[in-house]
Amino acid sequence: MIEVKDLVRQFKSGDRTIKPVNGVSFELGKGTLASIVGKSGSGKSTLLSLLGALDKPTSGDVIVDGVSLAALPDTKLTEYRRRDIGFVFQQFNLIPNLSAVDNVMLPMEFAGVRKAARSARAKELLEQVQLDPEKHGRRINRLSGGEQQRVAIARALANEPKLILADEPTGNLDEQTGEHIIALLSSLSRDHNTTILVVTHDRSLANKADRRFRLQQGRLSEEASRQRVAAPAS
Amino acid sequence: MSVLARSVGNAFRNKIRTAAVVAVLTVAIGLALAMLVANQAVGAKVQELNASVGTVLTVNPAGGQGFEGGGEPLTAEQAAKAATVPNVTSVVGTKALRMRTETTTASGTSGTTQTQGGPGGGPGGQAATAVTTNLTAAVDAGTLGNRNNTSNGTGNGATGNAAGPNGTANQTQPAFSLPITATGIEAEVDSTGKALNITSGTGLGDYKAVSGKALLGTTLAEKNKLSVGSTFTINGQTFTVAGTFDAGTAFGNNAVYLTLADAQKLANLPDELSTMIVTVNSMENVDSAKTALQAALGSDKADVTQGQRNLETAVSSLNSVKGISLVAFIAALATAGLIILLIMVMLVRERRREIGVLKAIGAPNRTIGLQFVLEALVLATLGSVVGAVVASFASGSIASALISTNTTTTAGTGQRGAGGFPGGGAGFPGGGPFGGAQQLLTSVTASVSPEILAAGVAAVFGVAIIGALVPALLTARIRPIEVLRGE
Ligand SMILES: Nc1ncnc2c1ncn2[C@@H]1O[C@H](COP(=O)(O)OP(=O)(O)OP(=O)(O)O)[C@@H](O)[C@H]1O
Ligand SMILES: [Mg+2]
Repeated sequence: MIEVKDLVRQFKSGDRTIKPVNGVSFELGKGTLASIVGKSGSGKSTLLSLLGALDKPTSGDVIVDGVSLAALPDTKLTEYRRRDIGFVFQQFNLIPNLSAVDNVMLPMEFAGVRKAARSARAKELLEQVQLDPEKHGRRINRLSGGEQQRVAIARALANEPKLILADEPTGNLDEQTGEHIIALLSSLSRDHNTTILVVTHDRSLANKADRRFRLQQGRLSEEASRQRVAAPAS
Repeated sequence: MSVLARSVGNAFRNKIRTAAVVAVLTVAIGLALAMLVANQAVGAKVQELNASVGTVLTVNPAGGQGFEGGGEPLTAEQAAKAATVPNVTSVVGTKALRMRTETTTASGTSGTTQTQGGPGGGPGGQAATAVTTNLTAAVDAGTLGNRNNTSNGTGNGATGNAAGPNGTANQTQPAFSLPITATGIEAEVDSTGKALNITSGTGLGDYKAVSGKALLGTTLAEKNKLSVGSTFTINGQTFTVAGTFDAGTAFGNNAVYLTLADAQKLANLPDELSTMIVTVNSMENVDSAKTALQAALGSDKADVTQGQRNLETAVSSLNSVKGISLVAFIAALATAGLIILLIMVMLVRERRREIGVLKAIGAPNRTIGLQFVLEALVLATLGSVVGAVVASFASGSIASALISTNTTTTAGTGQRGAGGFPGGGAGFPGGGPFGGAQQLLTSVTASVSPEILAAGVAAVFGVAIIGALVPALLTARIRPIEVLRGE
């Protein structure tokens, strides 16, 4: 479903260049739940931004369902981000002066979903991530970090993307809520055939993953995988 | 949540800043609207004044006007030439005669001296020819007439004294009576080109022919106990009253109209004209026709004027006020646009990361751009609403302030010109209505019409959109990866 080929992203900082992503290649089949671990600053967020078409690689390519991102014009990349990708940012990146519901409705508005349909779906998603219904209409800057994180997850699910890229989605959650989110993601990959790539240090989330990667010195290495029963073919 | 709702919400995100921006915009927009209203009011006044002058041009001999000045008289040949000028619809020649009452003339020893430049006869008398009549003027000399008479008389007295016997007659002149103007006309119009208002009897019929008939002003007919069918004499020749007319002014009604041919015959000057009244086909062509006419007749032969000359200065100073207010309107409008441009550029920079978020979750560039343009329009709307209220209160005083500071000098001269006419407080008929340029200028009232305000607000919105377009286009350059950068 997603195929990464010799991906490189380098940054110039001062007089030296750093390569947080330096020749990464892998493939993920449809409905796979994969995890990435790595030290802070190892380039995990950088890799996710390349996969989500937020950034362009210095070299290499990402091929999604046979389409090369490198070949797509900006308008098509926008469409790709809107339709195919659900991104959960490490820093949530919600719009602070909008309510929780409005934030979840935004991607649907850009996709042209009717107002009634999008508000119904937004409420449903917020319930799925266990956000207290009385907080649905509350402005983002009056929500706690954990609450914001769940709104960010709900927003990523809004347009039923085929690839979810989540950067530490359980980092701010208590164990119980975290377990619930893990169960939610795992059911999405299993039941809705959604491909999910999570950056996480959460052991219980990593344990649920079909495949586990480690990013080190710009390179990705796969840890001994524990194949899930009846994993669908890619 | 739609784009519009988001824009409105964003406009009020920082309430103190929004209030400050709206306040500054209000000043700029309010000023722009007030200037537009002032501009329209002055423009309307100019049009009204131009319309009051109408489409009539007056041609006088170069260097002379009425009973004053010098130069060569106009001729029938020139009238024919004037008629060929483009856009000229008609040319009416007139011949003015200055009639003195016979009794007054009789008191002087020599009638011929009188015609050379007697009291009130006016210096030169080039275009008008003096004749005698048995009619008595309907206007009493009064203070103005006598003063005028004395001042003329002093110069004359010197000659009179040198001549000897005439001196005494001039010094003891108890009953001075005003002259009466007899104008020969080629059509049924007064000497300013306006149609005559016949109150009894008929017109003169064929105005081109010698008829021996005359039209008398109502008060002149009354004073001399004449009515339609009665007769009177000019230079001993008998004329029948064909009708009476009302010119609306006491001076205008102390006049006689003859056919042009009769007047030329009385003066013994066939082909000679005092003035030509030239009618142009439309208001827009008056200026060009005036220039063409002047060129055709030659500036050394004829003076072409449009209506009242002090009216012209009034119009030109009003026009400069109009120009000033237009410049101020554009400047204030540009200021409003600049304020919007700067504030929106600032907002785009400030919300860089947020724009990155919108792009990262798939917002198309045009949606984001539209959101910023709409936000600018929200600010412009607030500024326009408050600005329109301010403008509707301020435009009246702004307009009058503009006019009074710009035209006091002109108005002063205008008044002096009007008051200083020779001949007993009376110039030409029709000279009265525009006596005070000041009066006419202060009568410009800047009434705020909704259409003009709407047009002004539309212009503000146009400028706001232009001002917001630049920052909106800047948002297109922001890349979604901004979302990962720190605040
Ligand atoms: N725009 C940039 N310019 C220069 N250096 C950058 C830029 N973006 C990221 N980096 C560097 O790239 C490296 C990888 O950053 P990245 O955010 O991908 O790390 P990470 O693995 O997500 O770390 P963390 O676990 O702390 O989130 C870091 O050293 C960072 O300083
Ligand atoms: Mg990171």
